[in-house]
This record gives sequence, C-alpha cells and structure tokens, in this order.
Amino acid sequence: MFSIDFNDLGQVAMTGRLDAAQAATAQAFLDQVSGECILNLAELEYMSSAGLGVLLKTHKRLMSGSSGLKLVNVNSHINDIFRYSGFDKLFDISLLQK
Amino acid sequence: MKKFFARSFDQIAPIVDATDHFFKERNIDPSLRTSVDLCIEELFVNMVNYNTETQREILLEMEPVNGGIEVSLTDYDVERFDPTTPRDINIDAPLTERTQGGLGVYLVLKMVDSIHYEYHDRQSKITFQIKRGKI
Repeated sequence: MFSIDFNDLGQVAMTGRLDAAQAATAQAFLDQVSGECILNLAELEYMSSAGLGVLLKTHKRLMSGSSGLKLVNVNSHINDIFRYSGFDKLFDISLLQK
Repeated sequence: MKKFFARSFDQIAPIVDATDHFFKERNIDPSLRTSVDLCIEELFVNMVNYNTETQREILLEMEPVNGGIEVSLTDYDVERFDPTTPRDINIDAPLTERTQGGLGVYLVLKMVDSIHYEYHDRQSKITFQIKRGKI
C-alpha cells in the first residue's frame, strides 16, 4: 500500500512502501510540484532503488530551478539506503525523532 | 517455500506477503526483513526488465539457514544474465552526474552476505544469503 499527497503543512507526505510497482504513481505526483518541496517520509516504511530514482529525477528538476527536495522525518531503514547509495550527500535530510 | 510469480511489478505486493508469512512461520530474525525485501525486489525487477524474451513465471524459494535466510530466484527460458558482478558506481558523484542505473544491484551486493549465480539449460538462478540485517 502506498499513497502520496499534500499534508496540512503543505508538505508532500508519502506513506507505505515505495517500490517499483508504485514509482510511476509517485513520479506523476512529484512531476506536478514546483519550487522548494519538503517531502515528509514519517509514514514511509520502505524504499527500493525505484523510489531512489523518483527522488533523484525530481531533485534534479527542482535544482535546475534553484530549489530542490528536502527530506524530513526519514526512518532509520530508509536513511540506511540513502547512506549506502550516497544520497545522504545529495539531499538535505532530517531523521525521524523517536 | 517455493512459489511462482508472474513477470509483473504487480507481483511485488504478493511477494512481500509471501515473505512476511515465511518469516513468521519459520521464526526468521525480523531484523533481516528489510534487507531481504530489498534484495528480492531488486533481483525480481531486474529479471522482469531485462529477460523480456519469455513469459514464464519466476520461481522464488526461501529456506532458513544457520543464523539467517537463503533466497533463490530462478528465471526460465532466458539468456544468460549475471547481475552479481560488482558494479562500478560512484556514490560520491555530484547530483548532475548521478543516475538510477545500476543502483538496485549495487544495493543488493551491499546487503547480502553471499551471492551466487548459476546458468544452465536456459535457466538463470540467483541465490543469496543474508545473516545480518544491513538496513
């Protein structure tokens, strides 16, 4: 189960599992976003390389307009994937506080 | 556990369900779960994306091993394609030079404790073991 939508704070919130089956849904939503975008991952349990591809493509597009993606409330599993893939050097990341 | 799955990304959710059932039934260490899910998805997606000449289902097998789990994925009636060769990915490259390509298998090789590729009679089989959760 995966969902993506704006939350009450105007952030983009993802929930569930962002895998290869859900990447197109996430990409279609994020393709409509412009300017500085805060992606709230508090309720996202899992992300594979397909999800990393979505973040990378979106971040590149937004950075070309001098903004970008900021990732907040990232859980430890997903942060580990960011570290292994070097994404921790590409994104502004805030971890989920327990 | 031996189970066949159709060559579709729609099968990722049923694969996750089957993995969940196997972990509970065989009392596998839950700390291995995310690493196992990631490796299965990346290798399954690789087979679906690159072995396009067949419609045969992909076999997923799981067995408990001492201190962990062994997982195999077998693709039938396909050309040889060994994804286990280490990929040269520069994770320190700047954003403009980064691409998604190769990242899935790169992550698999980081997650597993061992991985083995076999090819015979047009069957492509990848077997990996995970005994320590990396993520």
